[in-house]
Order: sequence, then structure tokens, then C-alpha cells
Amino acid sequence: MQDLSDIKIIVDDPAVQSGNLQSIVTEIYHALKKLLAKKNIHRIDLRAMPWTAGEEQQLEQILGVGEVKIEMNAMGKSIFQETSYSGVWWISHYNDEGDVISRLIEISYLPDMIFAQQEDIKSALERLKNNL
Amino acid sequence: MNRQTLLEMLQQQGVTRRGFLKYCTALTSLMALPPSMVSAVAEALETARRPSVIWLSFQECTGCTESLTRSYSPTIEGLIFDHISLDYHHTLQAASGTAAELAREQAMHENKGKYLVVVDGSIPLDNPGFSTIAGISNVAMLKETVANAVAVIAVGTCAAYGGLPHAAPNPTGAVSVSDLVPDKPLINVPGCPPVPSVITGVLAHFLTFGAIPELDELGRPKVFYGQSIHDRCYRRSFYDKGLFAESFDDEGAKKGWCLYRLGCKGPMTYNACATLKWNQETSWPVESGHGCLGCSEPNFWDAGSFYKALSIPDGDYARAAGYAVAAGVGIGAVAGLLNKNTKANAVAKHSSVSVDDFAVNKNNNNEGA
Repeated sequence: MQDLSDIKIIVDDPAVQSGNLQSIVTEIYHALKKLLAKKNIHRIDLRAMPWTAGEEQQLEQILGVGEVKIEMNAMGKSIFQETSYSGVWWISHYNDEGDVISRLIEISYLPDMIFAQQEDIKSALERLKNNL
Repeated sequence: MNRQTLLEMLQQQGVTRRGFLKYCTALTSLMALPPSMVSAVAEALETARRPSVIWLSFQECTGCTESLTRSYSPTIEGLIFDHISLDYHHTLQAASGTAAELAREQAMHENKGKYLVVVDGSIPLDNPGFSTIAGISNVAMLKETVANAVAVIAVGTCAAYGGLPHAAPNPTGAVSVSDLVPDKPLINVPGCPPVPSVITGVLAHFLTFGAIPELDELGRPKVFYGQSIHDRCYRRSFYDKGLFAESFDDEGAKKGWCLYRLGCKGPMTYNACATLKWNQETSWPVESGHGCLGCSEPNFWDAGSFYKALSIPDGDYARAAGYAVAAGVGIGAVAGLLNKNTKANAVAKHSSVSVDDFAVNKNNNNEGA
């Protein structure tokens, strides 16, 4: 065993539910409607939810896996996984040691962080200039 | 405090804007702020400078420092340490004796009016000799150090409310930081120990916004202590349905029902365990099958048995639920009312721990109602 997260969580009594699963799905539904109508971006911090063991995995199963998966490497790995519901992204940020430091659901066309950032482009220009 | 800004420091380390935004996302979550605040946090951190921090440990068990340093996210907590200047912490610093005390005095002098003081442990007043550091009594060191501090953070229940040293019969005359520091901005971060990410979250809040977060009437940041364990508990739905474990190995316990009747202090305890959890977010006391001890509340050690129910919904629970339906009120609201009405009685009825307290029998189910 490398890490505590290697211990598999098995839900042996599906009756143990916090009731938060349905609320989140409802929140996602309304956020997706707003994205379509007004282009509003919405984020849900999964770390702030009082889950029962295994409930988060159930949410992952409900949302499923979509067409796009993006891996970013900035201060550790980040995975941006589109769910089977277009416009709903499951985002996991890891640190350099591979621990999850943040888990979010983002309702957007493309997560903001994926776009090249102004400051990084400026610094890229400087570096490129040295290679001219 | 002519130090680098956080952004400058990250840039020097080769961190890209994306990396910075990712750091801000994790930090926003750590501070229990909504994800919509990420850009505000990023904006604030671009100009934030490293504050000098002096950490004083008095009558304590070092559990609070253990909690902080054993926190699992090196990127986040590590960066917090990189981005505050921890100038004095006698457990963690390499220097000892005169050199250590010199570091404290130097930090106080160089950052006069701008440094942050973190305290863990209570302060004995009966005899100053009960607890000293380098021959200086705790009370003298506290008063001298906070005199020119910008704010004080009392970490752990001992510093915040006196904690275990303050428990009856309080042999050292232990008092809390707030008893001795009435005239400084003070943040209480109680818990025995506090959740590590709550400690770092409060430090991060100060670092980011240069101000103390909104506090409750007991001096605790509302973002972490604003809701009771009971209100955020994943077992709350069982409480609302009237489904309780009656002993630690009965069917109810195995099914994960509410631990209220086994003495859970969740209803009167305000803390973040139910969401932030412990040990890499693996679990927390209630998820492990044990009721909350109420460790972030004042005098929790003297509040009676950990295994005696605070108050128990009476035999008329079903009838009350009937009234609720008739009146269009949720069963949870009724349970809340029953709880509110009987809480004071139950606290008064607490007695010392006995073996019987470990097995709650059905005869005392009506107690306190």
C-alpha cells in the first residue's frame, strides 16, 4: 500500500445516504441551463460536501465519462474530464506528490484554466526572442 | 515587511499563471470560500507579502503542531510555510536557548506592529513557574510578544478556551489567550486538535486578505465553525427519520444510523470535521462510528460523559411528527425544536463517566425529554 487513498472504499449498505447526491445533480441541471441561456460559468467544490463513503464515486458514475479528457502539468497533475453531459467537467487537481488537493465540477464550455494565459504568453515571447 | 509578494516568489520558482490559478483554486477551497472567489483570491495574492509569524507554545501537548505538520498536502501547507516567515516556533526551529529567544526578539523588533502571533496551549496563572520558556513565564512571554502584534491566533481548545489544563479542578489556574489579550484582534481556532486545513486555512485567509475573517460570538471563523457538526453530518437524515444506534454493535450502528443516543455532541458542536474530515480526507469520528466529543467547544472536558446522550427525542416523536405533517413543518424542524427545548436540561443532568455509560439501554431513552 502506497497511500491511504489506495484502500478501496466499498459501499456495503447503499441505504446510507447523506441526501446530497440528488441535490448536486439538481444544482448541475440548473447550472447547465444557465450556461446555455446566459453563458454563466458555475463551479461546485466537491471538498465542501458532507459525503458518505462512496457517495462521491456514485456521483462520478452518474455523470459518466464524456468525449474529452485534458491533462495539465502545473505544480502537479490536473485532470479535466468532460462528463457524459456536455458542458459538465469533472476536475481533479493533484500536487507534486500525487495527492488530490482540489476536486471540482465546472459547468462551462471549456474550463478557464485550459486557455493559454496572458502572463504565460508574454513570458513565452521573451523566451522565443532569445531563440531568434 | 519588505518581503517579496507571493506571486513574485512563485514566478521565481518557475510557476506559470496556470499553476498560480491552480494554487488559488486549492487555496480558495482550503479557506472554505466558494469557487467563485478564485479570481478575488488570485488578485489579493498577487500583492500579498509574507507576514512574520511568531508561534508560542504554552501548556499544551504539541498535538496542534502535530496536526499542522502532519497535514498531507505538501503543496498547500508547504506553500503556506514558504509564504509566511515562521520566525519563532520552539518545537520546529533549529535554534535553541538564547539564539531562539533572540530570533523572537528580532522578529518582534523588525516587524513591529505587523507580525502575527500564533499561540497553542493555555497559560497558568496560579504560579508563573508552572510553565516557563527560557526562564520566562508564559504570561510574561505572551504579554511581551502580543504587545506589538497585528493580530493573535489562538490555535487549539487550550489556547482558545483553556482546554484540558483548564478542566476541573484546574490545578494550574489555566486561562485562555482571550482572558489575557482583550485588546487585540483575536481569532480562536479551537479543536483538540483543530483540523489541519482549518489552521492553514485561517493563516491563508490572513495572508491573502491581510485581515481576520468574520468570527462568531466565541471568536471562531464562521467559514469553518459556522455550522454544527449535526447540521453537516451525513447521518443527519437518520436523525430526521428517528433512526438511532442504541449501542456500538447493534443493527442500527451497523447500518450507519444516527449516534445521538450514544452521546454524540454533534448538535452542540461547531466545527468543520464533517466536510474537511481527517487523514487525507479519509474519515472523521462519526464516519468511523463514534460520536463527536465536542472538542471545539469551551469546557468540553467538563460537559459530562462522552457517552451520555445530550438529549433524546421523547417517546412522542411519532406524534410530534404527526403534528409536523398537519402543520406543514418538516420533521427535522420538529426534531430541532425538541432538541432545543431539552438541551439545557440534558447539559444540567450530565454526570461523571461510569461503565454503564458505554452501553445505552432502552430505559434511559426517555431521559432528558
